[in-house]
Amino acid sequence: MPNKVTIWKIRNSNPLRKSYVNNNIKPDELDALIKITVEMSKYLYPYIREILKSKENNQENSVIYNDFSKRFIELINERFNKDSIRVKKLLNQDENDETIIKSLITLSFCISNQGYQKLKNLLFDF
Amino acid sequence: MQNKLSFHQSSVSLEIIGLPDYSNNENKDQISIISQWKLSMVDKPLIEGKVEHLGPIMDAFYFYSNLLLKNEIPIYESKLIDIKADNLYIHKIVLKSSKPNIKPLILKIGNSLLSDTINCFDQLNESSKVRVKKIDTFHNAPRKVRFGLNNRVKIFNFFMPPLIAICSLILFSSTFIYFYSPVEDKEKNELINIK
Repeated sequence: MPNKVTIWKIRNSNPLRKSYVNNNIKPDELDALIKITVEMSKYLYPYIREILKSKENNQENSVIYNDFSKRFIELINERFNKDSIRVKKLLNQDENDETIIKSLITLSFCISNQGYQKLKNLLFDF
Repeated sequence: MQNKLSFHQSSVSLEIIGLPDYSNNENKDQISIISQWKLSMVDKPLIEGKVEHLGPIMDAFYFYSNLLLKNEIPIYESKLIDIKADNLYIHKIVLKSSKPNIKPLILKIGNSLLSDTINCFDQLNESSKVRVKKIDTFHNAPRKVRFGLNNRVKIFNFFMPPLIAICSLILFSSTFIYFYSPVEDKEKNELINIK
Protein backbone atom coordinates (compact mmCIF):
# COMPACT_ATOMS: atom_id res chain seq x y z
CA MET A 1 0.00 0.00 0.00
CA PRO A 2 1.89 3.09 -1.14
CA ASN A 3 -0.40 5.59 0.60
CA LYS A 4 -3.75 6.12 2.34
CA VAL A 5 -5.46 7.06 -0.95
CA THR A 6 -4.80 3.54 -2.24
CA ILE A 7 -6.46 2.07 0.85
CA TRP A 8 -9.41 4.42 0.32
CA LYS A 9 -9.70 3.32 -3.32
CA ILE A 10 -9.56 -0.39 -2.43
CA ARG A 11 -12.19 0.17 0.26
CA ASN A 12 -14.57 1.15 -2.53
CA SER A 13 -14.36 -2.36 -3.96
CA ASN A 14 -16.87 -3.39 -1.29
CA PRO A 15 -20.16 -3.92 -3.18
CA LEU A 16 -22.15 -2.92 -0.09
CA ARG A 17 -20.76 0.63 -0.19
CA LYS A 18 -22.51 3.60 -1.77
CA SER A 19 -19.28 4.53 -3.53
CA TYR A 20 -18.79 1.03 -4.94
CA VAL A 21 -16.42 0.81 -7.90
CA ASN A 22 -16.14 -2.47 -9.74
CA ASN A 23 -12.41 -3.03 -9.35
CA ASN A 24 -10.87 -6.46 -9.04
CA ILE A 25 -8.70 -6.57 -5.93
CA LYS A 26 -5.29 -8.05 -6.64
CA PRO A 27 -3.99 -10.82 -4.33
CA ASP A 28 -1.30 -8.46 -2.95
CA GLU A 29 -3.91 -5.84 -2.12
CA LEU A 30 -6.11 -8.43 -0.41
CA ASP A 31 -3.13 -9.56 1.69
CA ALA A 32 -2.35 -5.96 2.60
CA LEU A 33 -5.96 -5.32 3.67
CA ILE A 34 -5.93 -8.44 5.86
CA LYS A 35 -2.63 -7.36 7.43
CA ILE A 36 -4.00 -3.88 8.16
CA THR A 37 -7.12 -5.43 9.74
CA VAL A 38 -5.00 -7.70 11.96
CA GLU A 39 -2.74 -4.82 13.04
CA MET A 40 -5.77 -2.66 13.83
CA SER A 41 -7.31 -5.53 15.84
CA LYS A 42 -4.09 -5.85 17.87
CA TYR A 43 -4.15 -2.15 18.58
CA LEU A 44 -7.86 -2.07 19.42
CA TYR A 45 -7.99 -5.39 21.32
CA PRO A 46 -8.63 -3.78 24.75
CA TYR A 47 -11.65 -1.95 23.31
CA ILE A 48 -12.95 -5.02 21.44
CA ARG A 49 -12.63 -7.00 24.65
CA GLU A 50 -14.51 -4.39 26.68
CA ILE A 51 -17.38 -4.37 24.17
CA LEU A 52 -17.62 -8.17 24.31
CA LYS A 53 -17.40 -8.17 28.10
CA SER A 54 -20.07 -5.52 28.55
CA LYS A 55 -22.56 -7.69 26.66
CA GLU A 56 -21.73 -10.74 28.81
CA ASN A 57 -22.37 -8.97 32.08
CA ASN A 58 -25.53 -7.20 31.10
CA GLN A 59 -27.12 -8.77 28.07
CA GLU A 60 -30.17 -6.50 27.98
CA ASN A 61 -28.80 -3.06 28.79
CA SER A 62 -25.11 -2.92 28.11
CA VAL A 63 -24.03 0.72 27.79
CA ILE A 64 -20.69 0.13 26.01
CA TYR A 65 -22.17 -2.39 23.58
CA ASN A 66 -25.16 -0.14 22.85
CA ASP A 67 -22.85 2.82 22.13
CA PHE A 68 -20.79 0.67 19.78
CA SER A 69 -23.86 -0.72 18.04
CA LYS A 70 -25.30 2.80 17.64
CA ARG A 71 -22.08 4.08 16.04
CA PHE A 72 -21.88 0.98 13.84
CA ILE A 73 -25.40 1.63 12.52
CA GLU A 74 -24.65 5.33 12.03
CA LEU A 75 -21.62 4.51 9.88
CA ILE A 76 -23.53 1.96 7.84
CA ASN A 77 -26.34 4.45 7.28
CA GLU A 78 -23.82 7.04 6.20
CA ARG A 79 -21.63 4.96 3.91
CA PHE A 80 -23.44 1.83 2.76
CA ASN A 81 -26.04 1.29 0.07
CA LYS A 82 -29.29 1.05 2.02
CA ASP A 83 -31.16 -0.54 -0.92
CA SER A 84 -29.14 -3.72 -0.53
CA ILE A 85 -30.88 -6.52 1.41
CA ARG A 86 -27.65 -7.40 3.23
CA VAL A 87 -27.24 -3.81 4.37
CA LYS A 88 -30.87 -3.74 5.52
CA LYS A 89 -30.12 -6.81 7.65
CA LEU A 90 -27.09 -5.06 9.17
CA LEU A 91 -29.25 -2.08 10.02
CA ASN A 92 -31.94 -4.16 11.69
CA GLN A 93 -31.11 -4.02 15.40
CA ASP A 94 -32.97 -7.24 16.16
CA GLU A 95 -30.90 -9.21 13.65
CA ASN A 96 -27.47 -7.55 13.70
CA ASP A 97 -26.44 -8.58 17.23
CA GLU A 98 -25.07 -11.92 16.08
CA THR A 99 -23.19 -10.37 13.14
CA ILE A 100 -21.58 -7.72 15.37
CA ILE A 101 -20.60 -10.21 18.12
CA LYS A 102 -19.19 -12.75 15.63
CA SER A 103 -17.21 -10.05 13.82
CA LEU A 104 -15.75 -8.84 17.11
CA ILE A 105 -14.89 -12.41 18.18
CA THR A 106 -13.22 -13.02 14.80
CA LEU A 107 -11.07 -9.92 15.21
CA SER A 108 -10.21 -10.78 18.81
CA PHE A 109 -9.05 -14.28 17.81
CA CYS A 110 -6.66 -12.92 15.17
CA ILE A 111 -4.31 -10.72 17.19
CA SER A 112 -1.41 -13.16 17.44
CA ASN A 113 1.60 -13.16 15.11
CA GLN A 114 -0.13 -15.81 13.04
CA GLY A 115 -3.36 -13.79 13.10
CA TYR A 116 -2.92 -12.83 9.46
CA GLN A 117 -2.98 -16.47 8.35
CA LYS A 118 -5.93 -17.21 10.65
CA LEU A 119 -8.01 -14.34 9.32
CA LYS A 120 -7.14 -15.22 5.73
CA ASN A 121 -8.25 -18.82 6.26
CA LEU A 122 -11.49 -17.65 7.85
CA LEU A 123 -12.23 -15.24 5.02
CA PHE A 124 -11.60 -17.91 2.38
CA ASP A 125 -13.98 -20.20 4.23
CA PHE A 126 -16.71 -17.58 4.57
CA MET B 1 15.74 -26.26 39.06
CA GLN B 2 12.70 -26.07 36.82
CA ASN B 3 12.01 -23.31 34.31
CA LYS B 4 8.81 -21.30 34.38
CA LEU B 5 7.34 -19.43 31.44
CA SER B 6 4.19 -17.34 31.58
CA PHE B 7 1.95 -16.07 28.80
CA HIS B 8 -0.50 -13.31 29.63
CA GLN B 9 -3.48 -11.86 27.86
CA SER B 10 -5.71 -9.47 29.83
CA SER B 11 -7.53 -11.66 32.40
CA VAL B 12 -5.94 -14.98 31.51
CA SER B 13 -2.45 -16.27 32.13
CA LEU B 14 -0.88 -19.57 31.20
CA GLU B 15 2.12 -20.87 33.11
CA ILE B 16 4.34 -23.62 31.77
CA ILE B 17 6.76 -25.39 34.11
CA GLY B 18 9.39 -27.79 32.89
CA LEU B 19 12.98 -28.55 31.97
CA PRO B 20 15.15 -28.18 28.88
CA ASP B 21 16.20 -31.27 26.99
CA TYR B 22 19.95 -31.18 27.62
CA SER B 23 20.48 -34.24 25.42
CA ASN B 24 19.49 -32.03 22.48
CA ASN B 25 21.96 -29.29 23.52
CA GLU B 26 19.14 -26.91 24.39
CA ASN B 27 19.57 -23.62 26.23
CA LYS B 28 18.99 -23.35 29.97
CA ASP B 29 15.87 -21.22 29.54
CA GLN B 30 14.20 -23.62 27.07
CA ILE B 31 11.32 -25.90 28.12
CA SER B 32 10.96 -29.17 26.26
CA ILE B 33 9.97 -31.51 29.05
CA ILE B 34 6.80 -30.01 30.51
CA SER B 35 6.05 -31.23 34.00
CA GLN B 36 3.10 -28.98 34.81
CA TRP B 37 0.94 -26.20 33.39
CA LYS B 38 -1.53 -23.81 34.97
CA LEU B 39 -4.25 -21.78 33.30
CA SER B 40 -5.68 -19.04 35.47
CA MET B 41 -8.62 -16.86 34.63
CA VAL B 42 -9.72 -13.95 36.78
CA ASP B 43 -12.63 -14.91 39.09
CA LYS B 44 -12.47 -18.56 37.97
CA PRO B 45 -10.91 -21.63 39.59
CA LEU B 46 -7.36 -22.50 38.58
CA ILE B 47 -7.01 -25.15 35.88
CA GLU B 48 -3.87 -27.25 36.04
CA GLY B 49 -2.67 -30.50 34.67
CA LYS B 50 0.07 -32.63 33.21
CA VAL B 51 1.60 -32.39 29.76
CA GLU B 52 -0.73 -35.06 28.31
CA HIS B 53 -3.74 -32.86 29.16
CA LEU B 54 -2.40 -29.65 27.62
CA GLY B 55 -2.55 -30.77 23.98
CA PRO B 56 -6.16 -32.06 24.11
CA ILE B 57 -7.33 -28.92 25.96
CA MET B 58 -5.66 -26.61 23.43
CA ASP B 59 -7.12 -28.68 20.59
CA ALA B 60 -10.57 -28.43 22.19
CA PHE B 61 -10.39 -24.62 22.46
CA TYR B 62 -9.13 -24.23 18.88
CA PHE B 63 -11.71 -26.64 17.47
CA TYR B 64 -14.52 -24.94 19.40
CA SER B 65 -13.43 -21.45 18.32
CA ASN B 66 -13.34 -22.58 14.68
CA LEU B 67 -16.89 -23.95 14.97
CA LEU B 68 -17.99 -20.69 16.54
CA LEU B 69 -16.58 -18.57 13.73
CA LYS B 70 -17.76 -20.83 10.92
CA ASN B 71 -21.40 -20.58 12.02
CA GLU B 72 -21.54 -24.29 12.78
CA ILE B 73 -23.13 -25.71 15.96
CA PRO B 74 -20.51 -24.87 18.63
CA ILE B 75 -20.21 -28.13 20.58
CA TYR B 76 -17.00 -30.00 21.40
CA GLU B 77 -17.05 -33.22 23.43
CA SER B 78 -14.19 -35.47 24.49
CA LYS B 79 -13.12 -37.68 27.41
CA LEU B 80 -11.28 -34.78 29.01
CA ILE B 81 -13.24 -31.65 28.14
CA ASP B 82 -16.64 -30.57 26.83
CA ILE B 83 -17.30 -27.07 25.54
CA LYS B 84 -20.64 -25.79 24.36
CA ALA B 85 -22.33 -22.45 23.94
CA ASP B 86 -25.00 -21.47 26.46
CA ASN B 87 -25.91 -18.55 24.24
CA LEU B 88 -24.16 -16.07 21.96
CA TYR B 89 -22.19 -14.59 24.86
CA ILE B 90 -21.52 -17.40 27.35
CA HIS B 91 -19.66 -20.70 26.89
CA LYS B 92 -19.86 -23.64 29.25
CA ILE B 93 -16.70 -25.68 29.84
CA VAL B 94 -16.81 -29.05 31.60
CA LEU B 95 -13.38 -30.36 32.65
CA LYS B 96 -13.43 -34.03 33.55
CA SER B 97 -10.80 -35.42 35.88
CA SER B 98 -8.93 -38.55 34.87
CA LYS B 99 -8.98 -39.65 38.52
CA PRO B 100 -12.04 -41.59 39.75
CA ASN B 101 -14.63 -40.11 42.15
CA ILE B 102 -13.77 -36.52 41.31
CA LYS B 103 -16.61 -34.39 40.09
CA PRO B 104 -16.13 -32.50 36.82
CA LEU B 105 -15.26 -28.83 37.06
CA ILE B 106 -17.84 -26.62 35.36
CA LEU B 107 -16.83 -23.15 34.19
CA LYS B 108 -18.89 -20.52 32.44
CA ILE B 109 -16.82 -18.03 30.50
CA GLY B 110 -17.76 -15.15 28.24
CA ASN B 111 -16.44 -14.23 24.82
CA SER B 112 -13.78 -11.97 26.35
CA LEU B 113 -12.27 -14.77 28.46
CA LEU B 114 -12.53 -17.18 25.55
CA SER B 115 -10.57 -14.85 23.28
CA ASP B 116 -7.99 -14.20 26.04
CA THR B 117 -7.52 -17.97 26.44
CA ILE B 118 -7.16 -18.52 22.68
CA ASN B 119 -4.60 -15.71 22.54
CA CYS B 120 -2.61 -17.26 25.41
CA PHE B 121 -2.54 -20.57 23.56
CA ASP B 122 -1.47 -18.72 20.40
CA GLN B 123 1.43 -17.16 22.31
CA LEU B 124 2.45 -20.60 23.57
CA ASN B 125 2.25 -22.04 20.05
CA GLU B 126 4.39 -19.22 18.68
CA SER B 127 6.93 -19.27 21.49
CA SER B 128 10.38 -20.52 20.54
CA LYS B 129 11.21 -21.21 24.18
CA VAL B 130 8.63 -23.94 24.73
CA ARG B 131 8.48 -27.05 22.67
CA VAL B 132 4.97 -28.42 22.68
CA LYS B 133 3.12 -30.40 20.05
CA LYS B 134 2.37 -27.48 17.73
CA ILE B 135 -1.18 -27.17 16.55
CA ASP B 136 -1.16 -27.94 12.86
CA THR B 137 -2.16 -24.80 10.95
CA PHE B 138 -3.28 -26.97 8.04
CA HIS B 139 -5.60 -28.78 10.42
CA ASN B 140 -7.06 -25.41 11.34
CA ALA B 141 -7.24 -24.28 7.74
CA PRO B 142 -10.72 -24.26 6.28
CA ARG B 143 -11.83 -27.08 4.05
CA LYS B 144 -11.96 -24.90 0.94
CA VAL B 145 -8.38 -23.73 1.42
CA ARG B 146 -7.17 -27.26 2.12
CA PHE B 147 -8.99 -28.44 -0.99
CA GLY B 148 -7.45 -25.60 -2.94
CA LEU B 149 -3.93 -26.31 -1.77
CA ASN B 150 -3.96 -30.07 -2.12
CA ASN B 151 -6.13 -30.58 -5.16
CA ARG B 152 -5.39 -27.59 -7.34
CA VAL B 153 -2.21 -29.19 -8.68
CA LYS B 154 -3.94 -32.57 -9.15
CA ILE B 155 -6.83 -31.01 -11.10
CA PHE B 156 -4.36 -28.98 -13.19
CA ASN B 157 -2.38 -32.12 -14.01
CA PHE B 158 -5.57 -34.03 -14.85
CA PHE B 159 -7.08 -31.50 -17.24
CA MET B 160 -4.06 -29.89 -18.87
CA PRO B 161 -2.65 -32.79 -20.97
CA PRO B 162 -5.91 -33.53 -22.87
CA LEU B 163 -6.55 -29.81 -23.26
CA ILE B 164 -3.11 -29.23 -24.76
CA ALA B 165 -3.62 -32.29 -26.99
CA ILE B 166 -6.93 -30.98 -28.34
CA CYS B 167 -5.52 -27.49 -28.92
CA SER B 168 -2.47 -28.80 -30.74
CA LEU B 169 -4.69 -31.09 -32.87
CA ILE B 170 -6.84 -28.13 -33.89
CA LEU B 171 -3.79 -26.00 -34.70
CA PHE B 172 -2.10 -28.82 -36.62
CA SER B 173 -5.19 -29.81 -38.62
CA SER B 174 -5.95 -26.18 -39.51
CA THR B 175 -2.72 -26.12 -41.56
CA PHE B 176 -4.19 -28.80 -43.91
CA ILE B 177 -6.59 -26.19 -45.25
CA TYR B 178 -3.73 -25.00 -47.47
CA PHE B 179 -3.04 -28.49 -48.87
CA TYR B 180 -6.50 -29.63 -49.78
CA SER B 181 -9.25 -27.46 -51.28
CA PRO B 182 -12.54 -29.30 -51.96
CA VAL B 183 -13.81 -26.41 -54.16
CA GLU B 184 -10.93 -26.69 -56.59
CA ASP B 185 -11.40 -30.44 -56.68
CA LYS B 186 -15.05 -30.02 -57.65
CA GLU B 187 -14.14 -27.63 -60.48
CA LYS B 188 -11.65 -30.15 -61.88
CA ASN B 189 -14.29 -32.90 -61.81
CA GLU B 190 -16.73 -30.64 -63.65
CA LEU B 191 -14.14 -29.96 -66.40
CA ILE B 192 -13.53 -33.66 -66.84
CA ASN B 193 -17.27 -34.33 -67.14
CA ILE B 194 -17.65 -31.59 -69.82
CA LYS B 195 -14.92 -33.21 -71.92
